[in-house]
Formats: sequence, C-alpha cells, structure tokens
Amino acid sequence: MVFAGSAAMALFGALLAVGLKNIFHNILGFALAMLGVAGVFLSLGSDFLAAVFVLVYVGAVAIAMVYAVMLSYPLDLPQRRRSVPKIAAAALLAAIVTGALWLVVRRAPWPPPLGAPDDVAPAQTGYRFLTDYVLAFELISVLLVVAMMGAVMVARRTREGGSGR
Amino acid sequence: MTVASYLFVAACLFGIGLYGLLQRRSLVAMLIALELMLAAVSINVVALTTLAGRDGSLGQVVALILVGVAASEAAIALSLFVAIHRARHNIDVEQLSELTG
Repeated sequence: MVFAGSAAMALFGALLAVGLKNIFHNILGFALAMLGVAGVFLSLGSDFLAAVFVLVYVGAVAIAMVYAVMLSYPLDLPQRRRSVPKIAAAALLAAIVTGALWLVVRRAPWPPPLGAPDDVAPAQTGYRFLTDYVLAFELISVLLVVAMMGAVMVARRTREGGSGR
Repeated sequence: MTVASYLFVAACLFGIGLYGLLQRRSLVAMLIALELMLAAVSINVVALTTLAGRDGSLGQVVALILVGVAASEAAIALSLFVAIHRARHNIDVEQLSELTG
C-alpha cells in the first residue's frame, strides 16, 4: 500500500518535472517525485535513507534549483517552438530504453519475495561505513568539500567585476 | 512486494528522466531530469539488496554514496549555469553552440 502510493507519487512528480513548461513547476514536480522516492524507500524498510532523501533532495537540491530559476528564459517573452521531430526522437529513445529495461526485468529469474523487508538499522549502516567502506566514506567527504569549493570558485565574480575566472 | 515491481517503477522513472534530458532545452530542466535518473538507480540498488540479497545495509551504503555524488554534482552544475549565464545571458543548450564542428 505504501509502495503503490509512493510509486504513483514519484512517477506523477517525475512527469510534472519533465512535462511542464514553467521551470518553477518543474522544480515543484521534482520535489514531489523525490518525496515519492523517499516513500518507496520507506516501503523497503530503509527509514534512514528516506529521511536523507527528503533532507538532501527536497530540502537542499530543490531549493538550490529555485535560485537558478532566475537564470531561465522569461516565460512572458515569446517562446521558440520546439521542433516536433526532436521531441518524437527523444520520446522514442526513452521508450526504447524503458522497454528494454522492462524486458530484462521480466525475463530475469528473481528469487521469490521474502515477505515484508526487515528494517535496516542505521547503526548497521554506520558500522559498515566506518569499517568495510571507510575509504568510500572518506572519499565522499573529500568530494563534497571539493565540489563546494569548486562551486564557489566557478560562480564567484572577480573583484574587477569581470566574468569569474 | 516483489523485486520486479520495484524495478518496473525505477525503469519508468529512468525513462521519464531520459526523455526530459533529451527533450528539454534549459540546463536547469536537464539537471532535474538527470537527478530523476539517479534516483531511479538508487531505488534499484536498495530494492535489489533488501529484497533479493542478504544484506540490506550494503544497499544503504551505496545509495548514500549516490546521494553524496548527486548533491555535489548539483552544486557544481548550478554554479556552472550561473557562470554560463553571466557570460552568455542564456542557459539554452541550443544557443551554446560555439564548439559545434
């Protein structure tokens, strides 16, 4: 039940995020889709991961994207029309990839479901992060620092007021 | 719920994201589509490790690393969009064609 509702919410939000013209509506659809994905994780017993998704995607990434709305093309100016063959080609390619994925999922011999999934304890995940996957844990910290500094460097203006370099 | 139903949902999400990535012209909209595709991958990883594997915490580790990578990617991408917009007053990919051969 949780799964069906949240999966429908995720797909509906994704359609809004991709289909609507207004970029702000796209971002709201994206936030809805991420809430749906968090619900899917809840139905898998991954409470901690669901909380992280809501915090990071709905709370941080979507808000950062709202700032970028300022950069987008004004909606009240006349829009250049999208050429229909390009849209059709994009839809066709996406349909082919989705169909291929569905085919693989249908063909593969999945093990029978084990019933409701057990809750995954966050403590166990943290233990793994600090033992078996400590290198990945440290690397992701370094990556986040580098990304943050790089973002500031790329986006800042130089003191002379020229384009940032 | 079976593994396959989760994978079906993830495949749909991935397909919607791919369509958006190919079809949209605004760089911000393309970033949104890319994040949708990454979320579909996370659903796959977590569903496979919790339902078909023996160790659910492994999927959590992989999914958390994915979240970190996606967040840093979004930070870098948005700052690049700001820089591109400052130089060109535009973030429409069809207008950014200096390197077209």
